[in-house]
Amino acid sequence: MLNKLLSILLGYLLCCAPAWAQTTKIDSSEMVTLRIDPEASRGALVSQVFSEVKFIPLETTKESLFGSINQLKLTKDCYIIYDYDTKSVLIFYKDGKFRAKVNSSKMDADADEKEKQVFYGFNLIKHNDDFMIRISSGKNQFFFDLDGKLVKKSPVNRDKEIEDRYIRYADSTTIIAPYYISKNDKDSTNYNLAILNKDKEIALYFPFAKDSYKTEQFIGSGNPITDSGIPNELLYINYYDYSIYKIKPKALSLAYRIIFPASISIPSNFMAIPEYKNKRVEYFEKNKDQVYGLSNAYIIGDNLYFKANSWGFSQDKKNSLIYNLKTGDLTSIKNIEPDSLSQFLPVTDSGSYYDFANYGFHTFDNGYFYTSYSSLALFSFKDLNAGKNRTYNPVLTKYFETQNKKSNPVIIQLKPKQN
Amino acid sequence: MLNFFKLLTFITLLVIAKPMFGQQSKPTLPGSTKGIIRDTTHNYALKSATVSIYKAADSSLISYQISNNYGEFSFKNLPVGTSLQLEVSHVSYQTLRKKFSIPTDKNFIDLQTLIINPKDISLQEVTVTIPPIRMNGDTLEFNAAAFKLDSNAVVEDLLRKIPNITLWGDGQITVNGREVKSVLVNGKSFFGGDAKVATQNIAKNALDKIQVYNTVKDKNNPLDSTLTMNLKLKKGKDVGYFGKIGIGYGTGKRYEADVSFNVFSPKMQLAIVGAGNNINKSLNSIRQLTLNSTFKGVGTNVEYQPDFRADGINQPTATGVAFTYNFVEKPTWENKNTLNANYFLQNKDTDYLTDALTTTSVSENEKVFEKWSNKTTSSSINQKFDSDYEWIRKNNSLKINQALTTNNGNSDNEIFRNATNNQGVVTSTNNTISSNDYQNSNFNFQANYRHSQNYMKPKQLIKGFNANYNLAISNSENNGLNITDFKSFISTVPNQNFNRKYQTKNNKIDQQLNLEFLDLRSMLFGKNKLWNIELALNNEINFSNTKDNNHVQDLNTGTNNYEVNQYLSNKINTNYIDDAMGFSVSKSFYKSLSNRFYKNLSIRITPKQRFVYQDNQSDRSIQNIKRNYSQFVPEANVSYSDNQYGEYYRNYSISFNTNMRIPTINQLAPLVDSTNLYSVQRGNVNLKPGVERTIAFNFNHYDQTNKNTLNYNLNIRAGMIENNIIDSTFIDNLNRRSIFLTNADGNKYIYLGGNIRKAYRFKTSEIQFELASYVNLTKNPEYINTAFTYSSNLNTNSSLGLTYTYKAYLALDFKQTYGTYRSKQEAFNTKYSGKNLATTFSSSYNITKKLTLNSNITFNKSTSQNAADINFAIWNASAIYRFLKGNNAEFKMSALDLLHQNTNILNYGSSNSFTLGTQNVLQQYFMTTLSYYPRQFGKKSQVKK
Repeated sequence: MLNKLLSILLGYLLCCAPAWAQTTKIDSSEMVTLRIDPEASRGALVSQVFSEVKFIPLETTKESLFGSINQLKLTKDCYIIYDYDTKSVLIFYKDGKFRAKVNSSKMDADADEKEKQVFYGFNLIKHNDDFMIRISSGKNQFFFDLDGKLVKKSPVNRDKEIEDRYIRYADSTTIIAPYYISKNDKDSTNYNLAILNKDKEIALYFPFAKDSYKTEQFIGSGNPITDSGIPNELLYINYYDYSIYKIKPKALSLAYRIIFPASISIPSNFMAIPEYKNKRVEYFEKNKDQVYGLSNAYIIGDNLYFKANSWGFSQDKKNSLIYNLKTGDLTSIKNIEPDSLSQFLPVTDSGSYYDFANYGFHTFDNGYFYTSYSSLALFSFKDLNAGKNRTYNPVLTKYFETQNKKSNPVIIQLKPKQN
Repeated sequence: MLNFFKLLTFITLLVIAKPMFGQQSKPTLPGSTKGIIRDTTHNYALKSATVSIYKAADSSLISYQISNNYGEFSFKNLPVGTSLQLEVSHVSYQTLRKKFSIPTDKNFIDLQTLIINPKDISLQEVTVTIPPIRMNGDTLEFNAAAFKLDSNAVVEDLLRKIPNITLWGDGQITVNGREVKSVLVNGKSFFGGDAKVATQNIAKNALDKIQVYNTVKDKNNPLDSTLTMNLKLKKGKDVGYFGKIGIGYGTGKRYEADVSFNVFSPKMQLAIVGAGNNINKSLNSIRQLTLNSTFKGVGTNVEYQPDFRADGINQPTATGVAFTYNFVEKPTWENKNTLNANYFLQNKDTDYLTDALTTTSVSENEKVFEKWSNKTTSSSINQKFDSDYEWIRKNNSLKINQALTTNNGNSDNEIFRNATNNQGVVTSTNNTISSNDYQNSNFNFQANYRHSQNYMKPKQLIKGFNANYNLAISNSENNGLNITDFKSFISTVPNQNFNRKYQTKNNKIDQQLNLEFLDLRSMLFGKNKLWNIELALNNEINFSNTKDNNHVQDLNTGTNNYEVNQYLSNKINTNYIDDAMGFSVSKSFYKSLSNRFYKNLSIRITPKQRFVYQDNQSDRSIQNIKRNYSQFVPEANVSYSDNQYGEYYRNYSISFNTNMRIPTINQLAPLVDSTNLYSVQRGNVNLKPGVERTIAFNFNHYDQTNKNTLNYNLNIRAGMIENNIIDSTFIDNLNRRSIFLTNADGNKYIYLGGNIRKAYRFKTSEIQFELASYVNLTKNPEYINTAFTYSSNLNTNSSLGLTYTYKAYLALDFKQTYGTYRSKQEAFNTKYSGKNLATTFSSSYNITKKLTLNSNITFNKSTSQNAADINFAIWNASAIYRFLKGNNAEFKMSALDLLHQNTNILNYGSSNSFTLGTQNVLQQYFMTTLSYYPRQFGKKSQVKK
């Protein structure tokens, strides 16, 4: 929403031409149709959705002060955070204690870079028993250990960088390759997704023309590939498409096709209507309630988590949903109500502030969802509990005593129930 | 002492009045309640629902609030032991009603969980009551129907009733402490955009709701936004008319009359106004006339003061028409198409009478005392036709406006002057009788086109472009006669008489073109290059041509014929080209931390070179002067803003400017007219241009907390003029003055100003506090009889205002102003100083719904160093009675200047002199006024509820 303009990807046309001879047919034999009306979604208590809730205030020191969590990755002992405000990577221990920080001061600037060598994210690389933080900036890649020490520096290899986006399945030969370029003798074709076995192309999906960013507008809402922790399975979502695909080692299959009420659905032939071509943004500015796409899809046990994105923003809109595939129950994450499990504090800032609206869950890792909100939010939630005799656990008690609304954000770790 | 007595009487009057409304104040009630609203269908607590509590007996609204994040509500200050009704409403739900009463023994009842049901779409609910306040998406809405007010109330009366809204004495409106920047009616500006025209005219009963929303400027910082208030009219009430017709007559043949008629429809607005008076009510624009004839419902208003201290006796009459057409019915910031056209005709007759004494230092121990009296009668007819057209589409805007003005008139002037020396001996007299007829016309045309970058099309070559063209044509003609008689008493200098006729014509054409190319960096070097320094190029060019034709004749007393004055009669043609070329370099730095703060620092430096070519061609060879000037006129600006979320927003700016003051032909080589020997203007062909450098600092603090906000600001401006064109005056012992011009350095000035504003809101009353002050210090060099002297001047002015309002019954206002001046001449070791003080108490009291009493008294005190203090008080009072069903008729009795003391004091200092005197003013009169306010909102009169 707020970063909508930033997230408009001016690229990647899905050209509907039959010319893409090599394109693999999508298997839709197991497709399930789900009819979902977001407005009919219901609320629930925190303890009905989650079995564990943990608040982890991140230590605030002069060194560790940062804005908000734009990217969150986990190692065994640490949270690794990218903060856009301070353009830095911050490392905190699992208990919230500050460990180290990496910013441009630790990196040599390129010769032609007049200012600081800034960067906009990081990758975690397995290294011996632990992880290394890899930051690409300018012409170089910098490798840091979790104490923020520079381990090595090497020039960026563009081909390698493309391969960095590849995801390797546990069999170590299957590779999922987003934005893949298939080259043959004469020319090359671009695909939104490819499945490779080592170097061999197993399947190629969603071709697009190279110059499509000039002729079409794409509104994205985050990483189209999500990992729900199921081995050898990822979920995939495409632009202007209400389908959720499963990526398996051999093929892509259409798992769920969601049908929304007509009033919030785009026309079924949306991509084929010529008058909307390259005018998608204009279209959604006029049709603010229509869902332009899905994002943040996870399958946790019987529950399908996803977000239905539309252009018009309202704090009351129920757009982050949990659909129970067995019972058909639809729960709105915004309307999950605090109870004793969450110490009577909301588990997301949805409906009041903007962190959950901007990022959704940061990640799903080892059975837990992770979200975060600001101290400004947490203190205002605490103020709403005034006069109700609420008691907080030692961590939060200490936090409320020693911190204020300008302190660092708080991570919330949530274990979703399976059924 | 007398003042103290008057003050005491005034306060006593207030104290007597007080118990009458004191009884109406409610004691604090002990009852309280709380509860939670749940939607069990969807299984969640309902936030943002409106919870209202009414008295069951008469359905009067006691209190209301919006449920919090957890669906909770909690009320205090409720009556106990009486039957109450609770109503919960929300746009998507059926209204929930519950009767309850708070037990007297506990003073508390827990209503626990209340279940609300979603609206059944097939079953249209009949709405019985409407919630007073609700959140509709991100818009805060106040429903007019929920607030029970007198049927004659206007929007302003409603605004006063809403606890979240503060109406300030100066017309500013704040909602939850934040300033409303614009007030719209159905999304459009209403009759020129002044909020009062809308809020004091539109009937509360024509209003559907008041919507308050943010117009976000910066998407990253939702707090950095401007607040807009939209008055949404009821369906069918978007057509209507309102106005006033009033006539008043009083003692001493005082009269006033005014007519105002305003019609509006969804796309069109038309205003017709007319007024006339002989009581110094100025009638200068359509907007002023419209504002002076607003209906003002039923609340108290500290009455707008008649300008009782205006100079002289004015008799203005005026009429005008204003027309607005919106081609787009619902304009937005990127789609607007509006045409405005106005015609205004004004006729003004004025009588001025001034008696004063001006003391001027000539040397260290020599002064000249000039006693003068001036009588002027003038009359003028002014006409103005202007129109503007505005067209806005995404990234493009075009604005065109034109104005044609004419003013014709005449004036007769008699001045009697005499000069006295230190010994009190009259040295000379200099008397003038003159008359003038003039005809002036001006035409102005301006077109502005702006093109800004479309961020959806990053490949656009031209990122931003502004063009502005201005054409000004003026013609003026003047016929005058000047008869002057100078007599000397102490020397052998011959007496002088003049009887001179002037016929002057002036024609001027001025054209100006400004071009600006923005964001040159990305155009020339590419995005993100050059350390993100922004580059812009701008050029302002100005061509003008002035033609003066002066025909002067003197009376030959021998032949009794007027003969051409060969020296003063001449033609002069001036061509002037002025070009300023600048290249601006700017860079912005910002620092932000999500949910904590946003800080921005912007620096802009514009080196600029100005070239001026001036060519004067005259019949007199001394005036054939060609000059070229070139000057480096750099500009720089640094601004810093600091937004601490939920605490405050501050901005600071400092700017530097350079300006060139070019000598005109009348400063370089005037043809010297010596009819007024007390002031003969001479020139200096060697004058150089003055260069003025100024530096200005500005600071503002806006409170962002929700209650009892404190806002303040500070301005400092300082400047220095190099080679300033200054006077070199020669005064002889007959007070004959020749004023030559010369260049000198050392002209400096500094100005400091600031204000503080705070409001305290209580349950039924409100106190507003405002303090404003300025200090102005200047140092002017000048020559007097070849002696160089600096004169240092210090002027200060401070005002403190306190306003108290109690419900809709009483408004009290206190204002204290304190002004001083001081002037010092270093070379002569002389000093002049004086003070002007005024203390004003105003009050407005609604005795009944129909009858209002207003009173205001101002105690004035003027002190001057060498004269006795002057004290006087002006006391005005009025009684207003409204009648007829819709309060459409008004009968008003006013008594003005009850104490018959009004005096207009002249008490001011300038560089080496100070003046003390009096001027004729309006004095005591009594007037009876009858007014009728025709008003209609909606096509047909509808049955009132």
